[in-house]
Amino acid sequence: MFFTPFGAALFETGGNRVSVQASFQENKRFHLDVKAALITAIVAFLLVFNVFPMAYLVFRSFFGENGFTLETFKRIYTYPLNWNALRNTLVTAGLSMVFGVMIAFPLAWLVGRTDMYGRKFFRTLFVMTYMVPPYVGAMAWLRLLNPRVGTLNVFLANLFGLSENPLNIYSIGGLVWVLTTFYYPYAFITISRAMEKMDPSLEEASKISGASPLKTVMTVTFPVMLPSIVAAGLLVFVSAASCYGIPSIIGAPGQIDTVTTRIIDYVYVGSAEGLTDATTLAVSLMLIANLVLYVSTFICGKKQYITVSGKSTRPNIMELGRWRLPVTLLVTAFALIVVVIPFATVAMASFTTNLGKPLSASNFTTRYWHILFTRKGILDTVKNSLLSASIAATAGIAISCVMAWLLTRTQAKGRRIPDFLITVGSGTPSVVIALALIMTMSGRFGINIYNTLTIMIVAYMVKYLLMGMRTVVSAMSQIHPSLEEASLISGAEWQRSFWDVTLPLIAPSVVAGWFLIFMPSFYELTMSTLLYSTDTKTIGYELFTYQTYHSQQTASAIATGILGMVVIVNWILNKLTKGEFSI
Amino acid sequence: MKKLVMVLAVALLLACACVGYAADKPKVTIYTSMYEDIIEAMTFVLQEKFPDYDIEFFYGGTGTLQAKIAAERDTKKLGCDMLMVADPSYALELKELGLLHAYLSKEAGNLSLEYDPEGYWYPVRNLNMILAYNPEKFKKEDLPQSFKDFAYNEAMKGLISMPNPLTAGTAQVAVSALKDKYGYEYFDKLAANRVMVESGSVALTKLETGECKMVMILEESVLKKREEENSALEVIYPADGTICVPSPIMTVKDEWSAHGNAKICEELTDWFLSPEGQGYIVKGWMHSVLKNPPAIPYDSINTAEIVTNSMPVSWENCLRDRSELRTNFEERVKNKI
Amino acid sequence: MSSITLTDVTKSYGSTQVIQKFSSVFQDREFVTLLGPSGCGKTTMLRMIAGFEKPTTGEIKIDDTVVSGEGRFVPPNRRGIGMVFQSYAVWPHMNVFDNVAYPLKIQRVPRDEIRQRVEAILEAVHLSQYVERMPNELSGGQQQRVALGRALVCNPRVLLLDEPLSNLDAKLRESMRFEIKDVQKRFGITVVYVTHDQTEAMAMSDRVIVFNKGAVQQMGSPMNIYRHPANQFVADFVGKINFLRGTASEGRIDFPGGPRAPSQRGQGMAYDGEKRGPVVVAVRPENMTMRADRGVLHGTLSQAYYLGDTNDCRVDMDGISLRVIAAGNTYGQVESGAPVWLDFNEYLVFDDDGEDQTRILS
Repeated sequence: MFFTPFGAALFETGGNRVSVQASFQENKRFHLDVKAALITAIVAFLLVFNVFPMAYLVFRSFFGENGFTLETFKRIYTYPLNWNALRNTLVTAGLSMVFGVMIAFPLAWLVGRTDMYGRKFFRTLFVMTYMVPPYVGAMAWLRLLNPRVGTLNVFLANLFGLSENPLNIYSIGGLVWVLTTFYYPYAFITISRAMEKMDPSLEEASKISGASPLKTVMTVTFPVMLPSIVAAGLLVFVSAASCYGIPSIIGAPGQIDTVTTRIIDYVYVGSAEGLTDATTLAVSLMLIANLVLYVSTFICGKKQYITVSGKSTRPNIMELGRWRLPVTLLVTAFALIVVVIPFATVAMASFTTNLGKPLSASNFTTRYWHILFTRKGILDTVKNSLLSASIAATAGIAISCVMAWLLTRTQAKGRRIPDFLITVGSGTPSVVIALALIMTMSGRFGINIYNTLTIMIVAYMVKYLLMGMRTVVSAMSQIHPSLEEASLISGAEWQRSFWDVTLPLIAPSVVAGWFLIFMPSFYELTMSTLLYSTDTKTIGYELFTYQTYHSQQTASAIATGILGMVVIVNWILNKLTKGEFSI
Repeated sequence: MKKLVMVLAVALLLACACVGYAADKPKVTIYTSMYEDIIEAMTFVLQEKFPDYDIEFFYGGTGTLQAKIAAERDTKKLGCDMLMVADPSYALELKELGLLHAYLSKEAGNLSLEYDPEGYWYPVRNLNMILAYNPEKFKKEDLPQSFKDFAYNEAMKGLISMPNPLTAGTAQVAVSALKDKYGYEYFDKLAANRVMVESGSVALTKLETGECKMVMILEESVLKKREEENSALEVIYPADGTICVPSPIMTVKDEWSAHGNAKICEELTDWFLSPEGQGYIVKGWMHSVLKNPPAIPYDSINTAEIVTNSMPVSWENCLRDRSELRTNFEERVKNKI
Repeated sequence: MSSITLTDVTKSYGSTQVIQKFSSVFQDREFVTLLGPSGCGKTTMLRMIAGFEKPTTGEIKIDDTVVSGEGRFVPPNRRGIGMVFQSYAVWPHMNVFDNVAYPLKIQRVPRDEIRQRVEAILEAVHLSQYVERMPNELSGGQQQRVALGRALVCNPRVLLLDEPLSNLDAKLRESMRFEIKDVQKRFGITVVYVTHDQTEAMAMSDRVIVFNKGAVQQMGSPMNIYRHPANQFVADFVGKINFLRGTASEGRIDFPGGPRAPSQRGQGMAYDGEKRGPVVVAVRPENMTMRADRGVLHGTLSQAYYLGDTNDCRVDMDGISLRVIAAGNTYGQVESGAPVWLDFNEYLVFDDDGEDQTRILS
């Protein structure tokens, strides 16, 4: 209904200088229209649900009750607390990006390219981290590393005979640690996918030239993977910068504000002025995130490597030799610290009556699990989240596939516009998206989807589309065009070629992309906090309120339940596709 | 290809597994900051009491709900019909904004606390901000017995926690009362003692693990833990006065409300203020607002005793100084790092 | 019946023209090879015929149908063309049978017929025993055959091959040449073949079109191209050749040079052509006779490799090295380091215009 016809005129396909003429053959005309129509449709969707709300938000930050004013800007940006928050956000997100990539690249390489023991298991394990709500991890780390009685802290102090507990989670370092451990999977997933697709002969050529394995990684693998690595890093940066759950849990006790927590604070003032203040502060986060995204997209855009040839090659596995065991042990230790211990802490909490005492027979209970499966409120939210997240993921991945095709396979004019808008959307902090949608989508401008699941779905799509799209685009850009040309020359229309050749080849990425949209949507917190209504409360928000207000054990049970669900879905996927697809 | 179709099918199945159902009964939605456990019990009771209505609670922290209402106000329609949230100052604000429906309840005469003479709002549950500690880890006599000592006692440095006045209505009231009593110096002392600002469930866990020695918290959350989890956590009713927050019940005007069922809301208001309704409030570990409370919450002390020994709170100040308090709290407490 | 008619076809990317105006008719059942170094535009030409690229100007017809030009553009999938890609483009997610059957599935050919036709084609490309294999279980040559089978399975009017043999080893390459040629004859199709390997071009083509820098240098039969190259580029690119810079005058071409031993006069040879002034004399190694005792030009034998049927020799003549393929029985008559005499049996004379002198010896 929002698909305006103007796009057809605006976005003519490129590559030909011939204008649309009546004499054009039927099929040529069809070609033109499909590309233009697709671009128009996506752009229209983004214009209505992304650009317009954001623009209105910015507009509102300048135009208060009494017309144009810079007062709000002055007030917000001269407030030292906000500057601190801005600095904290940049520092934590920046460091998380660096560390995240530094962790993700070697892991992706070890898992994808070497004969390390248990590669498949580790892969699943690392990706699993992505599948649980980050604030659950924050809660676990809070208990493990708090400066006074943190379990791990006390253990370390005893181990090394320290008089003081060595670590303090309520610090910038602590924040970076938790952000990194929960966002590196974003990078891991992106890099792994690209690594699987890389032509092994590139590495072989380096080895044959006399380079050691390490040298090969540094001089061939890394540079070839650079676009994917940069994309991965940015994903981490933006996610960390617009994360609310972790800084609100880790940062609050240490009085470390980030821009997101400041924005939510302003929102919680609960007045129109508070909203304007929030909006005004949000503008800066929006700018930073988008600037970073856009600049690097430019840089990456210049370096496209086609690393998959039309020739079928066997995957090449590097033998680690005598390093095999030590490396496996190292990765095991990492997995233990970053994945197993926090998850186990959460899982154990869900069975513990009194969190101050160790889990024992007398301190053991299943009542929280009972609550999880019987409380209507929780079950309803699970239903809502499943529904909205699957719709968002399915629609999102459909757009991603179309965008990937437009970006990598056509010269259609204007194909960068939706790409740019999607990037802008994802770079926008969740809070901002939610605020903007509330302001514009509740009847004031003819569309009223406030208090419906639709507004959630729209918000999730605007926010998480990029992850799906990047995954599919990178998969697609690594498939040699001749594979599709062979299909065209065999007589298939381009749609058919896409379906028969391209889609199956990118299918694992499509599935991965689907989950990359689905999972964060499923447990989404920040936007849901503002967008939910009586009928549309989501599990993410429910989990957060249980975590912070009602009962941490119930929250732990919910989180463990989500994790369990992920494991089961992964298992089913694996069985159904005989190991070809897994999360 | 088949594999992909299968994957999509699984996804679709997941999606289809969630089909809601709708009821035709007149609906009332209540925004509230009461605990989910209490909401669940309350919903059950209301279903029995008012089988002809579809009454639904919607939980949110005070700040969240206030933000939600602020946003909804922009759209000229709120998502609810009733509110059981925050403190009288918020009721004053909403009344001024003309969002509320006036109704003179027949139960008004039995109330022990101040209510709106025009019937725009009534207190419905009495929440008490107190101090709590863990006797399994620390001795009571080693700990502060008053709000003043809580902030001023340097031995407590880094070991105390309090709720966030930006998000929790009761905490807003508490800091307003404490500021009226001790001035902004109280905030500075809190900051010097490195108070952690966080929500209730988190703070209680910290008491249990020993990470915190003492927390400023709502009485109900401690009582709930004692009854439900056999927790050893104990309440200290501060010597300088418990901070009592009578949380109001309000009905939204029909032209603003979600379902336009103000008449039903009147019935509900009466029920909540009746001894029966108050009985359920007390079961939810909150104190009754009646002159003759039907009971006292589990393990608590007499309601009257608490009210008598409470710290005075000026609702006008609360409303008037809200943003000033906020800013000061932020700058003095949150900005100290 | 399928000819390809190209009329005034050009192609530009922005302001760079990659194909100069080109016109030709590829006859039915003709084997046409587009030959040239990389970047010469031959692949672009092929992709325009396939429909992957659109000519900037000009018209392309297959039989009587205009597939490109005059505002018409038939996409590749409607051109009824078979194509083999340099990288084979065998779909890694389909087995051999599915790869080959794909074009038939697109045409909604009945299942039984698909089976028959695919089996027939696989037989023809010697892949019958690999029907169920996945591409990554096949060797390069086998993948290549899959690609060929797929291109042929629906009896295309035209078969396009884009450097199909460049990724194969030498022996396989030679046998594939014959197979492709054989297939062309059996199926009676028009083939456009792109390669940079002149031996391939010579061996298979009815007609060779030599490209350089986007422009056609010469068109003709392999023999014509080889024996009568139109310019130095063609002469150099097709086959092996020696170039000598000299000066033409009435009845004679003189070669400048260094030391004039053993005779005291400058070297030269008789010439009855028209050209005057600076020229380049081109002579193929096999078109010289080398003797120990007599001849027109003299030099020193610096290296000689006995190849059985021939001797591959290097002769130093006034400081430049000429490659000479001498008859096998010459071996042993002259020794390395000994003076020798050369006769040019067949040679070409080009104007020395300073162009394309990459390997001109002077």
